[in-house]
Amino acid sequence: MLLAQILVNGILLGGLYGLMGLGMALVWGVLNIVNLAHGSFIMLGGYAVFYLFTLAGIDPLAALPIAMAMLFVFGWLLQRFVLNLIVRSELLNTLLITFGLDVVITYLAQYLFTADFRTINPSYAGANITAAGVTVPLLLLAAFLIALLLAGALWLLLNRLPLGRAIRATAQNLVAARLYGVDPRSVYALTFGLGAALAAAAGGLYGITAHLTPYIGVTLTAKSFVIAIIGGLDNPFHIVLGGIVLGVAESLTALYLGPTYTDVISFGLLVVVLVVRPRRALRAA
Amino acid sequence: MRPWLTLAIIAVAAVLLALLPLTGDAVWIQFGINALLLATCAQAWNILGGFTGYVSFGNSVFYGLGTYGTAAAMTQLGWLFPVGLALGAGAAMVLALLLGIPILRLRGPYFAIATLGLSAAMAAVVSNIDAVGANIGLILPLTRADGMFYELALALLLACTLTVAWLARSRFGSGLVAIREDEDAAASMGVDTTRYKVIALVLSALFTAIAGGIHAYWITFINPASAFDPTLNVQMVIFAVFGGPGTVLGPVVGAFILSAIYEVLASWISTAAAFLFGLVIVLAVIFTPRGLADIFGGVRRHGAAYLLQNIRENRL
Repeated sequence: MLLAQILVNGILLGGLYGLMGLGMALVWGVLNIVNLAHGSFIMLGGYAVFYLFTLAGIDPLAALPIAMAMLFVFGWLLQRFVLNLIVRSELLNTLLITFGLDVVITYLAQYLFTADFRTINPSYAGANITAAGVTVPLLLLAAFLIALLLAGALWLLLNRLPLGRAIRATAQNLVAARLYGVDPRSVYALTFGLGAALAAAAGGLYGITAHLTPYIGVTLTAKSFVIAIIGGLDNPFHIVLGGIVLGVAESLTALYLGPTYTDVISFGLLVVVLVVRPRRALRAA
Repeated sequence: MRPWLTLAIIAVAAVLLALLPLTGDAVWIQFGINALLLATCAQAWNILGGFTGYVSFGNSVFYGLGTYGTAAAMTQLGWLFPVGLALGAGAAMVLALLLGIPILRLRGPYFAIATLGLSAAMAAVVSNIDAVGANIGLILPLTRADGMFYELALALLLACTLTVAWLARSRFGSGLVAIREDEDAAASMGVDTTRYKVIALVLSALFTAIAGGIHAYWITFINPASAFDPTLNVQMVIFAVFGGPGTVLGPVVGAFILSAIYEVLASWISTAAAFLFGLVIVLAVIFTPRGLADIFGGVRRHGAAYLLQNIRENRL
């Protein structure tokens, strides 16, 4: 029964991980930017939900779309007026500039929000249901379903809507897309905004299930990396699956080897996946 | 830059820096040791990252191995400092060789991320080994000889920089640059790309590990979190890229300038130092995407419009 419980925990946690990976993979696949500030976007989303809940009294799950809209605007502005200046340069430079942004955002967050531990704590935070001896925390279940929902929405957007076609066209061939009347500047800004909005959703849910500090960004960026790599960049559902693989692997490691080994396993898994399957579709968004 | 000019600058700078401890100012010497070791790390990163374009986030593993090799040899085995240094450097080079062969097959972001994964995994592995103090760490014998550490760090940086100066002129270095520009073309021209890349990684590991060992003996206390600190690796990349990757003097100048800026900011406005540091990086990438070393040539080509020219080339 312990194993079943651990597996359920891992899968539910994996949904949240998948949500973290979605925005990372979208931006990486379309803009070819490995966004090292992704984790700090997740952190900002968490704080947005925290303050909407504590100051404005909005239910955290209802605050989620508001936080997403806020981060969308933030990401859109950032890409439109800063990152677009450098986006055609080498990968190294985009890594570097997003690292710089991460440092700036982290310290602004520390200044504005203080370094205290925060948890978003609605009345139903501890609620759970028990079925067949396995306890399912309702909030993690909700997070899992929201992750699936957003992955589905992203899939629909990319594969069924005109904007999605413009995004995919830009990812495949910038010049050709431009010739067909797509304005890559606004497509890039929209895509980056979407990535930030997805990060905000992940952050809000993360803040309900774990502690928020201004410094969680770096670890979450690394996790999002791992998930995007395991899942590949081509299908949102594969990324959620990648998150689940990571979540289950971490839970099993914590059970059988001890919690100090979770990082060895998750990053070891990353290296193994990379070495065994080096040439996955990178830019097929 | 002409080779004799580069060598002359290196010689003059080395002599001037070697004389700095004569001032006897403890603050300057301590800042110097840090800056020299960081510059060595940036320069060592430059051997692989700057010349072949393979962005490694795993160099902090070599630093950590150098740190732990030296510390474990001195405290657990009672060996002398130089023997410990050699042990740490040897371990790092062997690891670079063993890991380099599978991992250097990966290209672009995949290589970068695999090395990031390795560094995170290594820190977690070491913090589970009881023989080297697990999570608590090791305490080395105290030696109050900052002057010696300073000259050692300077000698190491000099050796590393001369190696890079040689790379910039040699057939081997040209092979590395060819890999950066177009790996398939380099391979078809007869460059044994895997061997070249692995040798570059091993060289990089050697200097990084010795820097780690010197730092361990100087600071006298190490633990997994500080020895395998991934932010150290990010610093190496930033210093090298800020100064000019693939150049001989760029990474060293970048390391000196940025550590000085950070030090001044930290003592002047301590709370906002990191914020401004991040801002400097963002602005530097936007205005000088090819590194500071490119400014000299760039201003000659485009005059004062050079900075805007960069934006024009890279914006969407």
